[in-house]
Amino acid sequence: MKRQQWLGATGISLMCLLLIVALVIHLSIGTKVIFISDILHSFYTYNEDNFDHLIIQELRLPRAMIAICVGACLAVAGALMQGVTRNPLADPSLLGMMTGGALAVVYWSTFVTNASLIWLPVVAAVGALISAIIVWNIAARTHSGITPLSLILSGAAFTAFSGALLAIHHLLDEQTFEEMRTWLVGSLLASNIETLYWCIPWIVVGLIGAIVLAPSVTALSMGEEIATGLGINVRRRKWQLLVCIVILTSAAIALAGPLGFIGLVIPHVVRFIVGADYRWIIPYSILLGAVYLLSIDSLARWLIQPQEIATGLITILMGAPLFIWLVKVKVR
Amino acid sequence: MTMSIRLCKQKISFQVTKIAAIYTTCLLLALIAVFMFSLISGSYQLSLVDSFFSLIQQQPWISDSQATLIIWEFRLPRSLVAIFSGALFALSGTLLQNMTRNPLADPSLVGISQGAALAVVTLTILFPDYIDGWREISAFIGAIAVAGIIQLLRGKGNSLKFILLGVGVAAFISALISTLLTYGKLQSAMSALSWLAGSTNTSNWHDVNALGLACIVLMLLAISQARTMIVISLGDEVAVGLGVNLRKTMLLQLATSVAAAAIATAIVGPLGFIGLLAPHLARKIPHNGPANHLLLSTLVGAILVLSADIIGRTLFAPTQIAAGLVTSLVGAPLFAYLLIKKQF
Repeated sequence: MKRQQWLGATGISLMCLLLIVALVIHLSIGTKVIFISDILHSFYTYNEDNFDHLIIQELRLPRAMIAICVGACLAVAGALMQGVTRNPLADPSLLGMMTGGALAVVYWSTFVTNASLIWLPVVAAVGALISAIIVWNIAARTHSGITPLSLILSGAAFTAFSGALLAIHHLLDEQTFEEMRTWLVGSLLASNIETLYWCIPWIVVGLIGAIVLAPSVTALSMGEEIATGLGINVRRRKWQLLVCIVILTSAAIALAGPLGFIGLVIPHVVRFIVGADYRWIIPYSILLGAVYLLSIDSLARWLIQPQEIATGLITILMGAPLFIWLVKVKVR
Repeated sequence: MTMSIRLCKQKISFQVTKIAAIYTTCLLLALIAVFMFSLISGSYQLSLVDSFFSLIQQQPWISDSQATLIIWEFRLPRSLVAIFSGALFALSGTLLQNMTRNPLADPSLVGISQGAALAVVTLTILFPDYIDGWREISAFIGAIAVAGIIQLLRGKGNSLKFILLGVGVAAFISALISTLLTYGKLQSAMSALSWLAGSTNTSNWHDVNALGLACIVLMLLAISQARTMIVISLGDEVAVGLGVNLRKTMLLQLATSVAAAAIATAIVGPLGFIGLLAPHLARKIPHNGPANHLLLSTLVGAILVLSADIIGRTLFAPTQIAAGLVTSLVGAPLFAYLLIKKQF
């Protein structure tokens, strides 16, 4: 036990190191390459007249912060979902929560004039919660009950439905289409730092909840009977976890729009490193999710300079092959 | 009362029962009714009599009546395209469901439509000069490539795996399409976008000819396969035991199904859920044998797409909503209902 803890702690510090490296790379690359010494200077001796310092502090640092938060949130939400549903294919975007939240945000920003940013995470959360409940209920009523297949199919049905609603809304109201177009592919470009301030409390609550609930997720991932046998109130714990997942997902939606497959990829990589204990999986997911999204975002900005690819497209292009591989290996 | 028809030394033989004949005729009449309604509805008011006289005009191309122009240039090709594409999607879905023995199979769910869509969007964005002649062919190549990839990935897995793999491949391809749309020229991106929503409003007579020809050929091909379809639906072992060349039959049916979905997708864009719903709705209607079911589900598919088109262009007039969006809105809840009802 001692040895395992020591190994885990070493791993965590390695991950932190990795995060710092990814952050520095993210800050330095771009249309204008800024060297590490200038980045450090912009932190210690900030000079308003220095153009490099302005780029770092005003443009790249907020974006990096958002990438870190969104990556961490989605990775943890995915890990919790996979544990609770005992479904290796679970991911907020596959189960319709992303489009549900996005739909709520789009409707809200059209029908509420001079909308305040404070309510953005709340609106996304309501949308994500409703869609999660709908998808879950459809899947639960099928003959086979909750299985990876039934969850994904009902998620696909819900995604198609809300996608069509979104498209019709765009047709009828071109102005919101213009405003929301980049946001809807999942992009860190359009997000601004003010939304982050309103999301931070949500993110903190969600992450702390995930860490606190982690031991019971380990028990739940072994099966409901075992969890009940270990003295867990399964029904109540599942509701708590659902709230936790919804909070994390909606914070991510509010910040970056629907980013697919991050919640699928990271937990699998983490489980490969640390095994099935969620007390370790959650903190590792936080760090690795942040590193992953930072790297993806760097890639998105670097690949076709001076333009950039929407980050959400790259996460799907990276994540979908893993999903296909998982289906091939895990589904008999 | 049944009627047996035997032709060509009993090579072609089938029975028509009274019930099957009655219901098929009823459905055909319903289709004609919806078709007439489609001709008279729209922003320009036309009476049934007017449109009828315009239809039977001797030389509609040189007529200067406005009603004739509207009917022959806009509403007739549009309605016919809706009917034929609905029939093709329904045909594709019926074959696919029968082949995979999975009630949830649908060309848009297993990546076939997306393959066709990717090919067409690539063509529209990267080689806009070639779009006219190559659209159908490229859609077919894209669809067959994706179907082949999924088959390869599946290996010896069951039909459940086929669908899940399709979901993954579909997500991947959709991202590729979005990438192309975001970085292509604005004009070609917009034209690709309107096509992607699944709309019939740019239909012309060239489309009608292509779809009609495909519809007849593929329908005949599918009906010639009807007898083995019923055997295959009992299971692979049973089918082999009864003397079906499983490999050959499967390949032929898959090719027919992919071709139907690809051609329809090439012209009207990916219409969701028709291939899924039409066979199920048709199964509710009394029928005898798979050939009759095939016929019924193509009729149902045609009625569905035509109605979706009418709803889309009249509900929020003058804004036109693509038929594909209407079919998704109606189809997705029905799909959820099927998920709950059926064993899969």
